[in-house]
Amino acid sequence: MRMLVACAGGAGRGLTRLLLLPITVYFLLRRPAERRDSRAYLGRVFGRPARLREVARHIHTFAATILDRYFLLSREMQQFDVNVTGAEALHERVDRGQGVLLFGSHLGSFEVLRVLARRRPDYAIRVVLDRAHSAALTQALEAINPEMAATVIDAGQPGPMIMLEIQRAAQEGAMIALLVDRTQPGEASERVPFLGDSAAFPIAPWQIAAVLKIPVMLAFGLYRGGNRYDLVFEPFSEGIDLPRRERAAGIPALIGRYAQRLEAHVRDAPYNWFNFYDFWKYDNPDDDAGVEPEPAQAGVHRRGDAGEHAGPVLGDGAGGKR
Amino acid sequence: MSTQTPAERELAELLVESLNLEDVQPGEIDPEAPLFNAGLGLDSIDALELSLAISKRYGFHLRSDNEENLRIYASLRALSTHVEQHKAG
Repeated sequence: MRMLVACAGGAGRGLTRLLLLPITVYFLLRRPAERRDSRAYLGRVFGRPARLREVARHIHTFAATILDRYFLLSREMQQFDVNVTGAEALHERVDRGQGVLLFGSHLGSFEVLRVLARRRPDYAIRVVLDRAHSAALTQALEAINPEMAATVIDAGQPGPMIMLEIQRAAQEGAMIALLVDRTQPGEASERVPFLGDSAAFPIAPWQIAAVLKIPVMLAFGLYRGGNRYDLVFEPFSEGIDLPRRERAAGIPALIGRYAQRLEAHVRDAPYNWFNFYDFWKYDNPDDDAGVEPEPAQAGVHRRGDAGEHAGPVLGDGAGGKR
Repeated sequence: MSTQTPAERELAELLVESLNLEDVQPGEIDPEAPLFNAGLGLDSIDALELSLAISKRYGFHLRSDNEENLRIYASLRALSTHVEQHKAG
């Protein structure tokens, strides 16, 4: 990654892209785990066994967006052709001044959101990201764009601190961006139908939304080849109103609805799926013994609440492997 | 367990009410016991809910930009002291 960034800084996007082919070949030959996960995923989406060239295209797409991350986070965005849809809906909600939750995923490039900052410099955007967990991305960000790095809400700090920062960002009318597809080990999750099977999604983002009651928008930054990206904003909720005692029962339906939207975009841009692991596997909670759980629920019971705790908040945002 | 002051009692009531804690009597919360982790065992979503409830009731926001926060959330007593120092009016 660091090497790629160094090359990118010196040579520009066109030249650096020449490296994508050898990188793809390397992954195909030397990283059987990712190759297998890619093949299994593509087979699931296509409904037939995936071909090697499709696996190669998947890996190539991933490498291309990792490279573009450098150019998107630096100030060299003008070389991209970004087609934005749903911006009006987003602007209207941001302009209400109560903050907006922007739910992204590891489908495509979340960094392409940066074009918003360029078009609307008055918008504050705070990305929730685990600095320690995604050290490579954080270092790259700090090297490329320190101002932006300073706005990251570190998901690695104690849960209550993350929440205070999120609450404050909402009060200031900021967009708060979270990646809501990846479940970390030990994190509370809910299984819902996704691409023909059930998959676990984290519940913490939806609990946060239910407490803040501010608008929720979905964001997808889809790479379309060449220098083209589609940035799609979709209204999801005007404010999730789930009273505390109904939350545990109501959140699965929200996650299910989210998974349907994610699936629609996956089918539209299958090579943008950057979760290179078995997304559908069952985690045995007993396997998570080595993971420090979030504050345990020591004998406190709530009405209508199964007593789940919000685990480590959110995905790591690195867009890579785990 | 040390005795709750009136301000601590009021905050304890807000806490139990806003978090819907079953089986917890406001008067029984040890003012010096941790709120999170062990002790009362609240989680981060509770922290968010509680800070919103405090904003609404006492008219000021818990700040997220200083190290003090971990201390503020350490116990009912620490939180109450902070609220009394900062509440509006």
